[in-house]
Amino acid sequence: MIEFRQVCKRYPTGQLALYNVNLTIRAGEMIFITGNSGAGKSTLLKLIALLESPSKGDVLVGNMPLTHLHQRQIPPYRRKIGFIFQDPHLLYDRNVYDNVALPLLISGMTPIEITRRVNAALDKVGLGKKTKSFPLMLSAGERQRVGIARAVVNRPTIILADEPTGNLDPELAQDIMYTFAQFNELGATVLIASHDHGLVERMKKRTVVLQRVEA
Amino acid sequence: MAPKKPLAKPQPAPARARAYAIWWNQQKQAIDFSLKRLWFNPISAWITLIAIALALSLPTSMHVLVKNLQSLTHNNQSVPTISLFLKPKVTEQQANDLAELVKSQPEVLNTTVVTRDQALQDFNKISGLADTLKTLGENPLPNIVIITPKLNDLGETDADLDDFSKRLKTYKEVEDIQIDIEWIQRLRAILRIADRIVAVVAALLAVTVLLVVGNTIRLDIENRKDEIRVTRLIGATNRYIRRPFLYGGLWLGLFGGILSLLVVNIALLFLVGPVNKLSNLYGSAFNLGGIDLTTTLEVLVISSALGLVGAWLAVNRYLWENEVVND
Repeated sequence: MIEFRQVCKRYPTGQLALYNVNLTIRAGEMIFITGNSGAGKSTLLKLIALLESPSKGDVLVGNMPLTHLHQRQIPPYRRKIGFIFQDPHLLYDRNVYDNVALPLLISGMTPIEITRRVNAALDKVGLGKKTKSFPLMLSAGERQRVGIARAVVNRPTIILADEPTGNLDPELAQDIMYTFAQFNELGATVLIASHDHGLVERMKKRTVVLQRVEA
Repeated sequence: MAPKKPLAKPQPAPARARAYAIWWNQQKQAIDFSLKRLWFNPISAWITLIAIALALSLPTSMHVLVKNLQSLTHNNQSVPTISLFLKPKVTEQQANDLAELVKSQPEVLNTTVVTRDQALQDFNKISGLADTLKTLGENPLPNIVIITPKLNDLGETDADLDDFSKRLKTYKEVEDIQIDIEWIQRLRAILRIADRIVAVVAALLAVTVLLVVGNTIRLDIENRKDEIRVTRLIGATNRYIRRPFLYGGLWLGLFGGILSLLVVNIALLFLVGPVNKLSNLYGSAFNLGGIDLTTTLEVLVISSALGLVGAWLAVNRYLWENEVVND
């Protein structure tokens, strides 16, 4: 379970991204975060991934306030999260296989386990035959799917996706949303930040709308 | 009595094998990527390697030269001697007795008696003045006791030598003493200074190597900030992030060390001919030696360690500036 308790986030620039957010997301739920640009969608996801810390209030994951985590506990915590960006942030000097294998290598898995899981994840996103390709040889949609495979290969309990379909055509965007739905059915809690209202409505999942706060 | 600590439960063999496989896989990946970085950035890699090699070549070559000169002072052919010129009345038997007595001193390695007749024969051979000497009627040369001192016990300080020669002068048979050891003392003193200079130069150039490696790794980190951000986001520890950069520093140090050894060996090849010729002209058996195995290993270990430390400092600085080092 993920819980936001009266969370405020103000950046050092003075910009107020979130104000007094109270939100509870059940384990295994799939939820969309929508809102206009600057409403704080990305900030909300970053708070869960510990890329930002709240200025006020608490973010709890599994009843554990994230602010209580010790520096040493952060890497293992992040291994339980799959983060997908609008730009998939792939490593361009590594092929598809090595990009997807990275979280498993970091987690400390044997080469045999890594091979098995990477192949399974790439098959799941339809890139089983592109393991040797480098990111620059792939289309935008394929790169995004490599990013998704990398995010899910470690079987995370939480998947955070920040505008994952922003660069994709509607058909491909819909496919990717269904892929997320499949991971959700396997038990992962999925949070997707998107401003594509049409796509969100078609998925028929709970939607949280964030309003831009004036400082 | 303090309570006994429970013994750590021994891991079963498959678990150990699995842990080793994981550890080796992570190391292999880091080694692979760090070598690829050097391979795919040949210009910057070579510039760094040449800078490291030149910085290491100077102290290495100075060290080799000092070692060669040190060997000169320990060379059997160059062992200094002390000659005791005995009084004219001292007989050959007395000279032999004195030689035995002196030989029993702890500072003395060996003694040799050169009799008046031997000395005359030698002089005749060398000078070619046999006819002139015959006109003297009597052999004017004295018996001589030649002392070969132990260099470790003597000659380290002027005080030792003075003390020893004063004692030799107290023998009633001795007319005069000629010490052939002063030059070696002076050479040793010069070599001690040279040794210190090598140490200072080596320390300064070691700092240079640290800075060169540190700067190269810093630039590598700058180029890979996005990669570090991504790996950190997917749960990489600082140890994991640090590893390929440390290997990168290690390779730079190691390959720079190998290159410096090549440079020094080539320089020695240029020098060995003229130096050996000069040595022969002085009738010395001294030959300019190359880099021995110990020095080779020393250079490689020190250069690798410098590369590793330089990389460590650069990565840790980045990690501290961007996030608290957590492991």
